[in-house]
Amino acid sequence: MIRVLNVHKRFGTLEVLKGVSFEVHRGNVVSMIGASGSGKSTLLRCINHLEVPTAGDILIDGESLCWRVDAGGKRKPRRLSEINRIRRELGIVFQQFNLWPHMTVLGNVIEAPQRVRGMSRKEAVDLGQACLRRVHLADKVDEYPARLSGGQQQRVAIARALAMQPKVMLFDEPTSSLDPELTVEVLEVMRELADDGTTMIVVTHEIGFAKDVSDQVMFLHNGLIEEQGPPAQLFGAPRSERLRQFVSKHLQ
Amino acid sequence: MSNSLREFFDLGIFWEYRSVLLRGLAVNFYVFLAAAALALSVGLGAALLRISRLRILRTLGTLHVEIFRNAPEYVMIVWVHFVLPLLIGLLLHTRFEFNPFVSAMIALGFVYSGYFAETFRAGIEAIPIAHLEAARSLGMGEGLVLRRIVLPQVVRRMLPESINQFISLFKATTIVYLIAVPDLMYQVSMITQERMRPLPLYSGAALTYFAIVLMVGSSLRVLADRWRARIVA
Repeated sequence: MIRVLNVHKRFGTLEVLKGVSFEVHRGNVVSMIGASGSGKSTLLRCINHLEVPTAGDILIDGESLCWRVDAGGKRKPRRLSEINRIRRELGIVFQQFNLWPHMTVLGNVIEAPQRVRGMSRKEAVDLGQACLRRVHLADKVDEYPARLSGGQQQRVAIARALAMQPKVMLFDEPTSSLDPELTVEVLEVMRELADDGTTMIVVTHEIGFAKDVSDQVMFLHNGLIEEQGPPAQLFGAPRSERLRQFVSKHLQ
Repeated sequence: MSNSLREFFDLGIFWEYRSVLLRGLAVNFYVFLAAAALALSVGLGAALLRISRLRILRTLGTLHVEIFRNAPEYVMIVWVHFVLPLLIGLLLHTRFEFNPFVSAMIALGFVYSGYFAETFRAGIEAIPIAHLEAARSLGMGEGLVLRRIVLPQVVRRMLPESINQFISLFKATTIVYLIAVPDLMYQVSMITQERMRPLPLYSGAALTYFAIVLMVGSSLRVLADRWRARIVA
């Protein structure tokens, strides 16, 4: 359902992605691991078009995220309105939560369903409460984000993304700014989403999570996929020396 | 002696002139509201110039801020009232003049637009880009992002500083009597000339302004703090 085709991304003279291709099937969980600077976050941000790939394309259910074909049959960059339409199907959860501080928890969750999907307030509230129940925060609807712990904020951010009923959930190091005990509660929610059959792409440093929950793991190094496969194979019998080092360092 | 002293302090004069004095005070509020509306809208415009991607626009914005923020209010009022109409008249080859109320509004509005521009700019720049990315990633368009995510946060962040600026602006409205805008100070000096009772009249005006600024200012601050307390950790 998602096909990433030979994506390159360059910031000035720095080439962060050097031609990455892979595919994610419906209901699958794909984890991306790798050292800082390997390009995994940039890749995830490209899939949501927060970064525009320098070259290559990304297909969501066969539809190109980057290009449209105009009346004359020529390839043109997509307009923002079209990108926004495709984006609704891709929920993203950030490392820093990025909740809007001036809205309540429920306000954060129902904003996009109401304003972007055009739901009535009642529909959006019902949906928002259901999403907050899924992340075990039904009792916090009227709180403001500043009053919540980091783990709770991140779970609200997950509910906010879920409320758009996206086809895919993207996670950009969702636990990297959390204490270990708060990490557990967020990973638990993500595990439940995976068990419910949610399609997920997860950039993470949590090797344990990647190992237990993923159908596929990709190891990125220097803007390329160094190795990919099912977790048992990747962690059990890594072929690349770099991956072997990375795994032994992170499993201690 | 004691008789004349009693007359000196007799407050009956306020009752006698109550409608004129209240009308004067209302004029202060009109000038304040008109100048504040002008200052906020021109200030937002100048702030957007200052954060523009184009260098020339940024320079224009900076020029605006520095010129008006550094102009003394009284000088601006006199210049706008007496010089600007002459210049416009020369350009249009006709006699031209401003109503004193309009001059006061333009002069104070532009001076304070310089201050508000800086407040708006700081407010906008303080919003993390990531908040906007979160909105865009959910498919919100740029108009929706500005209206629902950026401006509500800017207003909350600006609030404490804006309250101080609104107070300064209100105090500045008391010099508009110098170009004969009939505000409270204007009425008080008129009555003083007629009745020769400067002590109660000027003291009364001073106390009135002081009480208004103190009460309105401190209640606004309390309200603003309560409102902000919910969102700031």
